Amino acid sequence: MSVQQSSEMVRVDGVRKVFGDGPKALEALRSVSFAVETGQFVSILGPSGCGKSTLLNMVAGLDHPSTGTVRIQNELVVVPRREIGIVFQDAVLLPWKTALENVLFPIRIMKLPLADYEPRARELLDAVGLAAFMDHRPSQLSGGMRQRVAICRGLIHDPEVLLMDEPFSALDTITRDQMNVMLMQIWERFKRTALFVTHSIREAAYLSDRVIVMGRRPSQIICDEVIRFPRPRPLSIMDSAEFNALCAKLRAKIDEAHGFDSGELH
Amino acid sequence: MKAGSDAIGPPAVRGLRYDLQIVMALIRHARVVILPIITTVVILAIWEAGVRLFQVSPVVLPAPSAIAANLVSNFGLLMYHAGQTTSEAAIGLCLAIGIGFCGGFALAYSPMFRESTYPHMVFFQLTPKVALAPLFIMWLGVGAESRLAFTIFIAFFPILVSTAAGLTNVDESYIRFSKAITASTWQTFLHIRLPFALPTIFAGFKIGVTMSFIGIIVGEFITSQAGLGYLILFASTRAATATIFAAILVLGVIGMLFYAMVAVIEKLVLLRYGSR
Repeated sequence: MSVQQSSEMVRVDGVRKVFGDGPKALEALRSVSFAVETGQFVSILGPSGCGKSTLLNMVAGLDHPSTGTVRIQNELVVVPRREIGIVFQDAVLLPWKTALENVLFPIRIMKLPLADYEPRARELLDAVGLAAFMDHRPSQLSGGMRQRVAICRGLIHDPEVLLMDEPFSALDTITRDQMNVMLMQIWERFKRTALFVTHSIREAAYLSDRVIVMGRRPSQIICDEVIRFPRPRPLSIMDSAEFNALCAKLRAKIDEAHGFDSGELH
Repeated sequence: MKAGSDAIGPPAVRGLRYDLQIVMALIRHARVVILPIITTVVILAIWEAGVRLFQVSPVVLPAPSAIAANLVSNFGLLMYHAGQTTSEAAIGLCLAIGIGFCGGFALAYSPMFRESTYPHMVFFQLTPKVALAPLFIMWLGVGAESRLAFTIFIAFFPILVSTAAGLTNVDESYIRFSKAITASTWQTFLHIRLPFALPTIFAGFKIGVTMSFIGIIVGEFITSQAGLGYLILFASTRAATATIFAAILVLGVIGMLFYAMVAVIEKLVLLRYGSR
């Protein structure tokens, strides 16, 4: 095995996904292939319904490709694996558990020693600014706080890969910017491979080492762009000319593929 | 009285307004207790007055005072029969809960079981189950067994349906999350489906309480030598209407106690597994 292969965390190979069969069959993905290096933060950017969530679910082992393969650390993904941490669009916290209990919930399910992970849970919650809210139940937390708890929960068992499916799309723009900064910080601190699905060009450009742009159904990768801004990245880079030029470039790529209908991407 | 917060006037007046607010708040809370009591008193007064005024025969409608007197003089007898009814209803309810819960679990988890039995369950649900009571006597005789079987039969269905509905109607995103963190089917049941289903399941238990009392009383009507159902029927043959009312009153109180017990258990459970 070559050096390059060993640093490869996720590999998606010739993945095609068709929902249903017969004349009503819907081809969601058509031949998608890419690899994610260990420690990379990769965004999958595309309009709604382009199959990017389906793709993420396949990496999570929650869905299966019609043809093609998904591998994590060179092992075929067939069912959900412990190497994966996942954050959904909704926080899906258990309403009867406190923030701390919610973060530790995967540990309980995986039958790992709770006591060993409690300090880590506290550290994670502290890192996202929720030190004072560990014993609060979800109903006592704001939407942004709940999503932060969900991110801590995704990271609690120290997964190799953190998968995020539009985790901030339900939040307002101001909260969203704050969440991006927070995610950036926690990612730089815990440094895991990250696969981030979004329909926000700016969010993708700000967070990622690399942005994979997907087209409309049946989707294919229409652009794979490496983002070279140095880290740590302050929020102010979003106002820089280079950043805006990059966003314009990504938007142009999308427009090129779709005609001028990328209106829902912002 | 709507705005005691606009602080106009000297402090003494403001203090007085504050006190008044507390009093009003107390009255608001007390309403839920006081109003039903007033309703009861008014109805009893009209009833008593009507019976005395029109000299209604005590066989047709005894006055509340006569029912109260009967309740006191027959207290031992009433309690003896109440004991029989209570213990049988309690056993019947517990078994109905057990059977209903397991059935609901099977219904939720086995598509095969669901598909093969659901039409029959709907059929039985739409049949007036009281009509089947004589069958239970033919099969199980006139003992406690047939009363219990009938009570279970009548009470388990709402528990089964609510359990199945509660376990099934869990937000799909939680199930996906559960799968993603490699939870087993059993873990998903225990940690996700069951806690989310608890309010629905308890709603079924509460209906089950009502149904089990219907079951036990119908059972006592047709088979028993003891129990409040038997007492009511026996009293009717002696035209002892006041005794009938006294027995019904005792029955109502026992039913409320059962209901309250389920409600308290629900409160305690939801304190741990509620969404607040």
